[in-house]
Amino acid sequence: MTLLQTLTDSARNLAVRSPWIYRINAGSCNGCDVECATTALIPRYDVERLGCQYCGSPRHADIVLITGPLTAHIKDDVLRVFAEIPDPKVTVAVGVCPISGGIFRESYAVHAQVDQYLPVDVNVPGCPPRPQAIIEGVAQAIAIWRQRI
Amino acid sequence: MLDTTTIPLAVLMFPGGLFALAFGLALKGLDRRVAARLQGRIGPPLAQPFFDLVKLARKRTMVPDIAAEPVFLGAPLIGTVSMLLAAALVPIPGVYAPNPMLGDLLVLLYLLAVPAVVLMIAGSASGSPFGAIGFSREMALMLAYEGPLVLVVAAVALRTGSFSLSDIIAYQQTHGAFLFDPVMWPALLAFLAFYPANLGIVPFDIPEAETEVLEGPLLEYSGPALGLFKMMSALKAVVVLGLGVALFFPSAPDGAAGLLVHLAKLVVMMLVGVTLLRVSMGRMRIDQAFSFFLRWPLALSLLSLAIVAAA
Amino acid sequence: MNFLRIFARNLLRGPSTVPFPFGPAWTPARMRGRVQFKLSSCTGCRACEQVCAPGAIRFDKTPEGLRFMMWHNTCVFCGMCEFYCPTDAIHQSDDWHMAHAVGEKYGMAIREVIPYTACTGCGMKTLASAPNPIGVVPPFTPEEVEQQRNQCPACRKKALAERGTPS
Repeated sequence: MTLLQTLTDSARNLAVRSPWIYRINAGSCNGCDVECATTALIPRYDVERLGCQYCGSPRHADIVLITGPLTAHIKDDVLRVFAEIPDPKVTVAVGVCPISGGIFRESYAVHAQVDQYLPVDVNVPGCPPRPQAIIEGVAQAIAIWRQRI
Repeated sequence: MLDTTTIPLAVLMFPGGLFALAFGLALKGLDRRVAARLQGRIGPPLAQPFFDLVKLARKRTMVPDIAAEPVFLGAPLIGTVSMLLAAALVPIPGVYAPNPMLGDLLVLLYLLAVPAVVLMIAGSASGSPFGAIGFSREMALMLAYEGPLVLVVAAVALRTGSFSLSDIIAYQQTHGAFLFDPVMWPALLAFLAFYPANLGIVPFDIPEAETEVLEGPLLEYSGPALGLFKMMSALKAVVVLGLGVALFFPSAPDGAAGLLVHLAKLVVMMLVGVTLLRVSMGRMRIDQAFSFFLRWPLALSLLSLAIVAAA
Repeated sequence: MNFLRIFARNLLRGPSTVPFPFGPAWTPARMRGRVQFKLSSCTGCRACEQVCAPGAIRFDKTPEGLRFMMWHNTCVFCGMCEFYCPTDAIHQSDDWHMAHAVGEKYGMAIREVIPYTACTGCGMKTLASAPNPIGVVPPFTPEEVEQQRNQCPACRKKALAERGTPS
């Protein structure tokens, strides 16, 4: 039993070093998406050293970055894509739009706040947040993910 | 000579199996690390592919509603097993010669085609339109690069007079490596164009292009099934690079030093042929890749076959 | 072949990645981050509420006083409130460490109450003027300021009319 426990713990410690990131654009203005892409792509804020990898498919994802205020038009698609992501997963809301609606709050065309529909774990406010802030949010998400994997 | 007791050991432990898997994962990690350094980044730790595998093993595998479940889940298993067998078929000069009972170069050629076929099956069984696009692209690319490979192998076999990899290595050890033989240079060039395509890296990763078709056939895979595909791809790197070493440059001392020299050759092939190519080129379109392979590598391999036949 | 030169340069110089999650991060001097509110400087003019595009700043009347509320989770960090604040009561610091767990979502707010006092003239409930308005020089002597601080606008108007033109 203790051997099994030790094995599980060490497997968890190894697995937590490979969080793959998937981005969902829930009707964002693209500002936060640009910052997310910056975080991933430019050498200055290399997230790959945390083991993160941007993946193209929701089925490969561990950490989900949601941007945008969940517009009425895209709501059903976002919920469908989110359901495709296998557990365990951690959700990060990037920018003020998914958190509260931001500048679009109380508009007839948006369904913000996103956490009414999806289990959000970490919020990163900003319009858009700077890349370091996104990395900080991802680091907090990894800490949460450690308990789930 | 026909002792079959060492075959399970060869498939599961030393040249194939655990050893090839560990080395393949290390090669992938090195590739990612060096690519990051070339781009001015720090990059992931060397053991990152290993972490990814552990992570994938702990996740859930989701099967889409419209997928053909037995085929969908069986495809990665078939691919991994075929690559395990293939890894046991590749000799390590001076250290390991495959048991003739296991097969020869022709069997290896067939096994090398299996991962591409498995990806096609996986893409079509997943029922996703992106998988179907990946299927068609994988098919086109495979048609393009398998021809030059077969012709290269035929040229080498014609030169040495045997389809057994052990004989090919023995021939090169007495007559000098084909790397330094001008007659074989067209074949060598054709092989250099072939192996990046077979390993599916950037200029030729058209079937799995994640920015275009969302990783194509792998789109619907998650958890342990995806991990099997990652294992297959790591094993394939060892097999394809090992085949290249056996075909063109098998000179190596005996014993442990021979093993080290072999691994060093694989690392050099990975860094030059894969990492440098990957970070310095953009992705081709499928028609560009198709016409490239049907033009240069095919011409080179036909030329080499003609030269070898004449020489 | 220019890219080969770039590769060689990258290999020789080493990575240009900042050490951020494991080390300190550089912050620009004029970074607009977390909002700070100085209760002692606020006169309750509500200019910030007027100019706040996403409606992150809200004033409402409570029995204790005028309540200032500002929620970082809907603020777009445009800096208009700071620009228009006549008494520098609102200021954007360069603190951008605002990522938080979702449970603390409504804790990312500022809630301050500017208390009501009784007017020294008529005894009505009124807002005390700010004890420390920065960057504003009223055309009064310090004694006059102290005298008028706790007066309601009507009583203040009356006192000024009785006093005549400001000296």
